Amino acid sequence: MSSCLFVGLGCTVAAPSRLEQPRPHMTAPASSQPPGERAVIDARLVQQVAQGDKQAFAELYDRFSGPLFGTALRIVRDPGEAQDIVHDAFVTVWEKASTFEASRGTAFSWVVTLVRNRAIDHVRMRRRRAELLGDSFLSDLGYPADGAAPAGDASALLGDEARMVRTAVATLPPEQRRVLELAFFGGLTQEQIAGTLQEPLGTVKARIRRGLLKLRESLTHQL
Amino acid sequence: MIDEHHEELASLYALDLLEGAELAQFEAAHAKDPALQKLVRELRESSAALAHLTQAPPPPASLKARVLALVDAHGAAATPGNVIRRPASPEPGAGSFALRHFIPWAAAAGLALAAGWVAQLYYISRSEIALLTNQQALAELALQSARNQLEAERLLAQRQLSDLTQQLKAQGDLANFKITTLASMLNNSPQALAVAVWDPARQEGILQVEKLPALATDRDYQLWVVDPQYPSPVDGGVFTVDARTGAARIPFKSKQPVKTIDAFAVTLERKGGVPKAEGPFVLLGK
Repeated sequence: MSSCLFVGLGCTVAAPSRLEQPRPHMTAPASSQPPGERAVIDARLVQQVAQGDKQAFAELYDRFSGPLFGTALRIVRDPGEAQDIVHDAFVTVWEKASTFEASRGTAFSWVVTLVRNRAIDHVRMRRRRAELLGDSFLSDLGYPADGAAPAGDASALLGDEARMVRTAVATLPPEQRRVLELAFFGGLTQEQIAGTLQEPLGTVKARIRRGLLKLRESLTHQL
Repeated sequence: MIDEHHEELASLYALDLLEGAELAQFEAAHAKDPALQKLVRELRESSAALAHLTQAPPPPASLKARVLALVDAHGAAATPGNVIRRPASPEPGAGSFALRHFIPWAAAAGLALAAGWVAQLYYISRSEIALLTNQQALAELALQSARNQLEAERLLAQRQLSDLTQQLKAQGDLANFKITTLASMLNNSPQALAVAVWDPARQEGILQVEKLPALATDRDYQLWVVDPQYPSPVDGGVFTVDARTGAARIPFKSKQPVKTIDAFAVTLERKGGVPKAEGPFVLLGK
């Protein structure tokens, strides 16, 4: 098993034949797997889905649906709409699994991108951006408004990878964290983010760069 | 080594925040720089990891059932790469989203209905126009018929008026006629009778005689018109009668223009007549 979170970057996923590899759903629960190993299994599941394996598809759903649903819900703020977005994303996974290339990123990143793009499209289509961009996003994410780390009880419910991500995000300065969350969940342009934060555009760009690079570094070191 | 500017562009690119020329410029650099590609992949993974920050409750079990049912519905023949149509959401919470999906179809249906309605109006209007055109044609025919009838009646009335005028004229002329009954002057034929009608305008007349004695072959009756402007009666011509009935109808003209007629007379003369009356009077009337 690879120990790398970013499959395809420094540690590509081998693609053993279907007969050689164990059924992913027979492996340990995803939450208890090391993140790197999970990425390998995810990639393998996608390959099996590409062969029409419905059981692998169901397994992939179990592994991804939580954060995907959370992301969609965080963006669109509508449970029914979020369910539809996740549903459509999985339909796309079923249809397009054969086009997935592990060398270009993890399966999780691929599906998150599917969900996020769809959710942002819906948000933009609804033109409810201003409504959705209240200052409550930090508390929605479990952070106090001053940027402190989320409560321990809540984080205890998360999987290993989620805990590591939250820890890594918590180390970011509040202004970098906020601008990254706005960029990821807000569906805004650079200028709109700057307008929302009432900061110069150059400052916003610099915070995004520094925040994302630091997050990459933290996640890599933790893994 | 990647400079800060490209790191910044890579970060924005990983979050899909680049647009327009900036996006095209970066993609061009990205396509030919493996180090930049690696950085973008890592930044994309980092940003995707933000999905773990959410604390939403897990999706309902029914969502998994929907997803798997959709795949199952396409059976064993269905393989990835086949397009799957997503059925309408059975989730109550998904109603608003399903409604949004329905909006384009509803709009299309509305447009189709509107187009049908407009087409129906068009055909109704066209039918009404055709009907009005037919009615107009019929009205024009009726008008033309009425005009023809009116013209016929006008011609008939004109003819009747003309006839009436002719009749009135004839009646007027008749008033000017000179009608005289001539009585017998013969002792042996007292029942002999004649009527003379004279048209002064045309200077001609008709003499109708009854029961005059038949004449010998060397004799003729001769008619005379007595006009005071002349010293002697004006010759009106000779005639004979039917030997059996003694009747005759003789058109005559005077030998000289007549203005006023005082009397008509018939004398018995030699065959062919005479310039001045010589024989006895047979009929006389004033």
